[in-house]
Amino acid sequence: MGLPNVSEDLSSEMEVDAFRRLFPLRYFERHLAESIRPDGRPLGKARETSIFLGAVASANGSALVKIGSTTILTAIKMEVMTPSLESPDEGCLAIDFHMPPICSPIVRPGRPAEASPVVSKQLSDTISSSKMIDLKELSLVSGKAAWMAYLDIYCLDADGALFDAALLSAVASLSHLQIPVVAMNDDGKIVLVSEEDGQKREQEPVNKEKRKLTLRSIPFSLTCILHKNYILADPTAEEESIMETHVTVVLDTSGQLISLYKPGGPVLAYTSAIQDCAALTRQRVKELKSFLDKANSAMEVE
Amino acid sequence: MEYVSPEGLRLDGRRPMEMRQIRAEIGAVSKADGSAIFEMGNTKVIAAVYGPREVQNRSQQISSHALVRCEYCMANFSTGDRMRKSKGDRRSTEISLVIRQTMEACILTHLLPRSQIDIYVQVLQADGGTRSACINAATLALADAGIPMRDLVTSCSAGYLNSTPLLDLNYVEDSAGGPDVTLGILPKLDKVTLLQMDSKLPIDILENVMQLAIEGCKAIANYIREILLANTKQLEYRRGV
Repeated sequence: MGLPNVSEDLSSEMEVDAFRRLFPLRYFERHLAESIRPDGRPLGKARETSIFLGAVASANGSALVKIGSTTILTAIKMEVMTPSLESPDEGCLAIDFHMPPICSPIVRPGRPAEASPVVSKQLSDTISSSKMIDLKELSLVSGKAAWMAYLDIYCLDADGALFDAALLSAVASLSHLQIPVVAMNDDGKIVLVSEEDGQKREQEPVNKEKRKLTLRSIPFSLTCILHKNYILADPTAEEESIMETHVTVVLDTSGQLISLYKPGGPVLAYTSAIQDCAALTRQRVKELKSFLDKANSAMEVE
Repeated sequence: MEYVSPEGLRLDGRRPMEMRQIRAEIGAVSKADGSAIFEMGNTKVIAAVYGPREVQNRSQQISSHALVRCEYCMANFSTGDRMRKSKGDRRSTEISLVIRQTMEACILTHLLPRSQIDIYVQVLQADGGTRSACINAATLALADAGIPMRDLVTSCSAGYLNSTPLLDLNYVEDSAGGPDVTLGILPKLDKVTLLQMDSKLPIDILENVMQLAIEGCKAIANYIREILLANTKQLEYRRGV
């Protein structure tokens, strides 16, 4: 019973950092009462975001995304495969989200992080349901050869909103993707055509014009935390650990709702709260779209 | 194949005794106690240090000194062809062990009894000399974490192709099948902590190749000191010292 009073007395005397560690929720709630967060952001504001395209030279497409301290590196490797009998005119997209032990003190070697398969599944579902990519564009020779695009998404620094950063990184790397030129040799095998000897070859490239994917209705997401009657956009890892109710809203560039994800948590998400989250996401989508356009235009200039 | 042209130039345009461009950055991972990115040409490595912290497995706790653990891992996209298995293979296990033993030689573990220091290294891009880059990145990360060390450990590779000693081999030169010497030194103490060599090499030539690698290590040590000094000045400025 006496604990709250004790903590109030302590908070005035204790150093801020010690109070933050001992009573994290109270510390956050004091800030929330002033409609501000400990890092100085308003409740509905996302962290600084940056996108760097072409971060990995050994990949066909890559992007490094930073949202605050959360850092995600995505690289795409293209491989030729035989398409399945069910969809002979379609290529394939394989998405893998990795959380190596460097990214967080919680992740230890040996056992994969809990979040890895969850985020992988979420990303796969989001990208496929958004219809962002027409898999027919990844076809080379109907029934014989198609592209398999491996998206390897590495979390280098986990500081909250992993799904948002991973999705942005995946989308950015797909927008940067340069599909290699290939030709069919005499044995009927698909071989890469290097830039230099492209003219000398007798074989006509199979995909001379298909160098870039056409991305339609690009999905972007925003994770919010619901705490009492507050909504906090783009939470840090510390905020995520203290306040347990998250809502992730995914919208495409035309404003259509692609997916909504609320994995449990003690706060019941009322319709009004969900609508507020969607409104915040709508603003965020515009921001992210402009960031991506800037990154792409910067690459074209180079 | 000719790895050194008659004009004395290598495939990437370097001279035999020339290193690739190096770049380092401290504090790449916010949650880690210490972290660093280290680049040697097209080889990019990120290292993070967590600790000293409580030993995870109590049975491994050592009462007299700290337990040092290391994990080396390559990103699936780090090489030319996508890697199917980036962890748990023999090569990764061997390099993890090499890095751990090399770093243990310089960490003053007796000052941190009953604790654990985890060194995690992730290769983002591989173009030869990954273990050297990993050791250099780990050194920077340990320094950033404030782990007490006898000296910095710096590492560099050297080889012998077309009857010419070559410094800091890239992937093409490394794959040529010639001798490849990886050296790790404590530059101020002038001690060797790591020496690995593949393929045959006459002893008199080994001395030349080793000397070349030592010079490379010392050049890297100077660069690392500059980076650490610049980082310290930045911290002083931020804290208003």
